Amino acid sequence: MDILYLLIPLSVILVFVILGGLWWAVDRGQFEDIESEGERILKDT
Amino acid sequence: MAFANQKATVYNDTVVRQFAIMTVVWGVVGMLVGVIIAAQLTWPELNFGIPWLSYGRLRPLHTNAVIFAFGGCGLFAAAYYVAQRTCQVRLFGDKLAAFTFWGWQLVIVAAAVSLPLGYTQGKEYAELEWPIDILITLVWVSFAIVFFGTIGTRRVKHIYVANWFFGAFILAVALLHLVNSAAIPAGLTKSYSAYAGVQDAMVQWWYGHNAVGFFLTAGFLGMMYYFIPKQAERPVYSYRLSIVHFWALIFTYMWAGPHHLHYTALPDWTQSVGMVFSLILLAPSWGGMINGIMTLSGAWHKLRDDPILRFLIVSLSFYGMSTFEGPMMSIKTVNALSHYTDWTVGHVHSGALGWVGLVTMGSMYYLIPKLFGQKQMYSVKAIEIHFWTATIGIVIYIAAMWIAGVMQGLMWRAVNTDGTLTYTFVESVKATYPFYALRLLGGLLYLSGMLIMLWNTMKTVTGGRSVDVKVPSSLAYA
Amino acid sequence: MLTIATAIQDLPADFPSAGASARDVLALLDDPQEWSAFSRPSALGQGCWESSVVIEGMHCAACSLTVEDALKKVPGVLSAQVGSASRRAKIVWSSADVLPSAWMQAVQASGYRAVPANDVFASERRKRETRQALWRWLVAGLCMMQVMMYAYPAYVALPGDLSGEMEQLLRWASWVLTLPVMLFSCGPFFRNALRDLTHARISMALPVALGMLITFVVSTVGTFEPQGIFGREVYFDSLTMFVFFLLTGRWLELRLRDRTAGALEALMNRLPDSVERQLANGQFARVAARRVQVGDVLRVNPGETFTADGVLTVGATRVDEALLTGESRPLARKVGDAVWSGSHNLTGTVQLRVERIGAATRFAQIVALMESASATKPQGALLADRIAKPFLIAVLLAAAGACAWWWGRDPGHALMVAVAVLVVTCPCALSLATPAAMLAAAGNLARGGVLVRRLQGLESLARVDTFVFDKTGTLTLDAMVLHGIETRDGLAQDQALAMAAALARHSLHPVSRALVNAQALRAAAVEKSHASHTTWTCDAVTESAGEGVAGWVQTAGPAAADIKPVALRLGSASFCAVPARCVPGLQVHLCDDQGWLATFILQEDLRPQAADAVRALQELGLDVHMLSGDGAMSVARVAAQAGIVQARGACTPQDKLDFLRQLQANGHSVAMVGDGLNDGPVLAGANASFAFGQAAPLAQSKADFVILGEQLMAVVQTLRLARHTMAIVRQNLWWALLYNAACVPLAVVGLLPAWLAGLGMAASSLLVVLNALRLAPRLTLSSPTKMGD
Repeated sequence: MDILYLLIPLSVILVFVILGGLWWAVDRGQFEDIESEGERILKDT
Repeated sequence: MAFANQKATVYNDTVVRQFAIMTVVWGVVGMLVGVIIAAQLTWPELNFGIPWLSYGRLRPLHTNAVIFAFGGCGLFAAAYYVAQRTCQVRLFGDKLAAFTFWGWQLVIVAAAVSLPLGYTQGKEYAELEWPIDILITLVWVSFAIVFFGTIGTRRVKHIYVANWFFGAFILAVALLHLVNSAAIPAGLTKSYSAYAGVQDAMVQWWYGHNAVGFFLTAGFLGMMYYFIPKQAERPVYSYRLSIVHFWALIFTYMWAGPHHLHYTALPDWTQSVGMVFSLILLAPSWGGMINGIMTLSGAWHKLRDDPILRFLIVSLSFYGMSTFEGPMMSIKTVNALSHYTDWTVGHVHSGALGWVGLVTMGSMYYLIPKLFGQKQMYSVKAIEIHFWTATIGIVIYIAAMWIAGVMQGLMWRAVNTDGTLTYTFVESVKATYPFYALRLLGGLLYLSGMLIMLWNTMKTVTGGRSVDVKVPSSLAYA
Repeated sequence: MLTIATAIQDLPADFPSAGASARDVLALLDDPQEWSAFSRPSALGQGCWESSVVIEGMHCAACSLTVEDALKKVPGVLSAQVGSASRRAKIVWSSADVLPSAWMQAVQASGYRAVPANDVFASERRKRETRQALWRWLVAGLCMMQVMMYAYPAYVALPGDLSGEMEQLLRWASWVLTLPVMLFSCGPFFRNALRDLTHARISMALPVALGMLITFVVSTVGTFEPQGIFGREVYFDSLTMFVFFLLTGRWLELRLRDRTAGALEALMNRLPDSVERQLANGQFARVAARRVQVGDVLRVNPGETFTADGVLTVGATRVDEALLTGESRPLARKVGDAVWSGSHNLTGTVQLRVERIGAATRFAQIVALMESASATKPQGALLADRIAKPFLIAVLLAAAGACAWWWGRDPGHALMVAVAVLVVTCPCALSLATPAAMLAAAGNLARGGVLVRRLQGLESLARVDTFVFDKTGTLTLDAMVLHGIETRDGLAQDQALAMAAALARHSLHPVSRALVNAQALRAAAVEKSHASHTTWTCDAVTESAGEGVAGWVQTAGPAAADIKPVALRLGSASFCAVPARCVPGLQVHLCDDQGWLATFILQEDLRPQAADAVRALQELGLDVHMLSGDGAMSVARVAAQAGIVQARGACTPQDKLDFLRQLQANGHSVAMVGDGLNDGPVLAGANASFAFGQAAPLAQSKADFVILGEQLMAVVQTLRLARHTMAIVRQNLWWALLYNAACVPLAVVGLLPAWLAGLGMAASSLLVVLNALRLAPRLTLSSPTKMGD
């Protein structure tokens, strides 16, 4: 199963990319005050 | 720093219009090829001995056309439309967006030409040869730039959840495509995969299942999370749940791939990992389904009068069904029966026709009138008829395939008391015949629904005119 | 006596001097010194500010979008964001183009109210903390999922199926993904453990941190030296799971803290206190209260609060000092008398000369007393912490012992056994035991209308043996209640009351309020029986501060036999020229030109549940006392009604605090129930304390429990729940100990594989949480007669 030498490190990198995305989202307040965000899209055309 | 698109006063709906129309067109084409190959399976004489009409070459044309042409154009249209509306800014990079349209159409045409000619890499859903693969990469990189550029120059602080799904879909497909399509060219129309044997199989099905997970699921969930609230005029049932749904889905999907390779040369423990994580995947999938359906909570009566909403909600119930069936089929003991049978085909099509097909149709029915300055499609009655023909078609299709699949599995494993097989292979083929005919009927119904949609779309487009929608004026968020 | 204050708020719109106009007060915000309390300079440009305000009146998510739109339409506003859950708005505006009052008014015009978020800096700090906690938890969760996936093959692979290199690869991947967990998520545990070590103290943090560190080091060595002594097994999956569970517990605690802290910090969010100050030319102008200086002359209208200590120079009035003293009756003040900051002006417009401001006022002195009482509050060591110390020592001894025992045969195995001991005795259950139960109990209480401000209050409350109640507003209702009417022969009680109420409607005096309320109740009863209904009106009303109300009263009804305007007087005995009676309670007399018509007797009424609550507490074995700032006679009466034997009146806040300290010095553990600012110090110093939801904000800020529903039985039910909670906590701790006692021998003998250790840890944590959930749905405060479980 040599291909796992590619796929597993790849998935580790992927996890770090996701962590980076999560950090960016938390830092930018994307997860705060979200109750009204569901309504917001109903307001525009 | 202010980019050109931030100063624009109208949205770029031109590219959305182009993609939306081609979604319907390629839908008809892809489903027509599907009907042809279904007929060929039922009556092999329909191969006519002509190589470029043969089942072996037309099947990948069908899968590529419905997934990448029909589904792909629908995703492009939706992603470009939703990103602009939720970010309240015009698309980033008009020229690049135009390139993605024409480039993608070129990919489809190249596929339509090369696949019947027999040029193939032999990897499922990744059959296209290396020059087309390169074109796909160029188009995809442009897509990423346009999409993320639009998000980056947005005027609304919060990034609506649908955009997270689109973003994940774009990035995942880029990664999958680059890794899986790695090949060594040997001529303009021939290449050899960079991987071999069971290693190649692992990569292929890591790609294959993630293609389902990110292209056919995440991307269309993005569509769902925008168009259902808009059509129902109600917000998503639980916005918080939609965010949890997103993150849970993307990090469980990565390792379900091995469930395609049960009882093959793949090591047992890899198969087990695939099985366990496919089962875990059930939870986030159903979370999303419930979230979408419950958006109608308190407004179920709308389903009575609104066929577009019916398309969207029924698509979710097929999504739920498929995401339950899938994990069940990934259990090794169940898989021992279902692998290589038509049950798998039934499963794929309940997801493809039921979830992907219906949600795309519902979303296009929402979009197309708006893009052409109309209040609604030319004929709402036609939408109704389309809904019923499509749904009946789906039910006939998958019922036929379930029965055929289980029957095949049982027949293949039946052994006599002395240990010999009870049935020969050809006997199972004969027994499947009536179900292939039924499946053809189901597919025909589904195709005719699509033809009705094509007619309806043409009447709507010719009766309306392309409109420019103004971007709401608001200044940069703090 | 906040009902007087609320009565002021309930004034009819046409009541003279109902308060400064809203626009004047908003205009105060246009002073840069004012707006900087809730704003900071924005990076968007010169003169741009970012302000935080709290929006009141929003009841749905869509409302927030309405407010946003209204704000964005104001020229000069660059951006506006409104959070519907937080009810806060962030507005970026340019001071060159617009001033705060303009956009505040835009919010008003859209149907909502905006107040400056003066707590924005405190809440920003909490928001940053919450974000960090969320991040740590997400990292732990994501990495745990992936590490579990990499660990899974080693558990299921048949021997020989998983090659050595493959296993190596999986271990390496697990190690890489455990690094973020160690770096980000474990930070707080290591920091707390370090702090414990430097202070030579032991708390839960130490065993937790030790376990994490050792597990990580051993597993790391095992990863990079698979042939070495630690190479047999790695524990990254146990480690990440462990961290995730602990962080989940902390995350839940943080959310609870945010909810309660937010509610109380929000009390800071008011429009600036303002007052009318005399300028050099004799005119009066409204200024912010913070600008007042000693020697200023201020004008205070009825309904307003005194913002500084001073001496009256013009006018006479009645004031309500209950907040400060607990005195239940309004007091008369005339020229030359002192008035205190924090008291309410009731009846007349007066002017005063400021003698003391800020920290020198009586108000501030009580606050200072409260702060010092809170700082010297007796803090019992927490139960869980007391167990942790011997436990940790026992664990270390067990690990060391096991290691030593195995060392002789196989050093590698010995170390692995020691690690297994540490992993299996993870203090997960121990550290979850208390918070899980506390949180479940707090959630239960919240549903019943009791806000838990300090989780440890539950533990303290379970141990109290004495209760001290305040009288006014705590055991008694705020408002005076009509107890009896005596009339002259020939005059019906109802008519006398109706005439009196007609006069009383024009006065702010609490007696007047009581009469009006009583009349309203009777009128409602009359309407139900469909009797004929006559309305009484009153003209030419004059109020003599401290004396009474006089005016011309007539009927305005359909009946032809209308009563012509008649001059009446309602007030004290001297006002009505009537001899005073000697009856308990307050007397108010009604008379006309011919003489006495009626006397109304009003009393403070005990809260409906007071007697029941006191009896319930006494039955539970507690001593009950009553302390009050009010006079001896009313104290004695109320104590008798409530069934309290030990009662003391005429207590200043310092007196109350001294009494408390005396009790505590005698070895008692005391719980206090109060509402006024005068109760503040003793609420801060008691072992456990309750404040009512209508209590003075500062009093609430020092209480452990805030009763929102105004029901005294909530106190009893909270006590019962607290005792039950501690029982569950003890059960949880016992379980944790027993589980460890069973598993340590297994680990010492080497029979416990890592995955079983991890599973056991998860299962025991789950059990602890489930046990704690038994505390969840029990408390109901819906019917006052229900005694609860």
